[in-house]
Amino acid sequence: MAAAALRPAILRRIRLSPSPAAAAGAAAASQPHALARWLARPMSSHDAHLTRDEVVDRLLDVLKCHPKVDPSKVSPEAHFEKDLGLDSLDTVEVVMAIEEEFKLEIPDQEADKIDSLPLAIEYVANHPMAA
Amino acid sequence: MASRSKLSGIQRQVLALYRGFLRTARLKSPEERHRIESVVSAEFRENARNIDRKNFVYIEYLLRRGKKQLEQLKDPDITGLSTLEINKNFRLVL
Repeated sequence: MAAAALRPAILRRIRLSPSPAAAAGAAAASQPHALARWLARPMSSHDAHLTRDEVVDRLLDVLKCHPKVDPSKVSPEAHFEKDLGLDSLDTVEVVMAIEEEFKLEIPDQEADKIDSLPLAIEYVANHPMAA
Repeated sequence: MASRSKLSGIQRQVLALYRGFLRTARLKSPEERHRIESVVSAEFRENARNIDRKNFVYIEYLLRRGKKQLEQLKDPDITGLSTLEINKNFRLVL
């Protein structure tokens, strides 16, 4: 309590030019969520953001693994319903599998829009948390 | 099946419920997860095949029932199968 009362009095009298280290610390402290997110990232070989090619390859694999998909029909341009013959329930399953593959949680509103590989590639490639 | 851009509100609700079940199944043990996924998937597909898509009253009833079941399934103590089996029997009685 006493220290808290003294603090403003002391601070009013102190004039310090901030050192670069202190400034960096303050910057990190002002973005606690960014720091926490970074610390929470799983250890992985691709710590930098995923390359688009890697996203495409892994998405193609996710689609090929779905029990109803004919792997020979999977291409980066494929539409889930028109080209792969999936219904809307299958599409929900596919989008959930994409979440697991890239350790994402896709909100319902976004998930409802993803109905083709081009849209899935776009979403994952632009997602800062995709791992 | 209608294209994605033409999903109706009630279709969206059904898909959101299905997604909710799949998300909750992930929280269970791998065997339970697998069992829940097959039971839930079979139930949704059977209803999608057998129920007239314009039977809104019945679909809304199923949505309400499904939401209640999902809430029960979210309880960490509930593994899922007993809940779903009880409700299946319950439906047979109806």
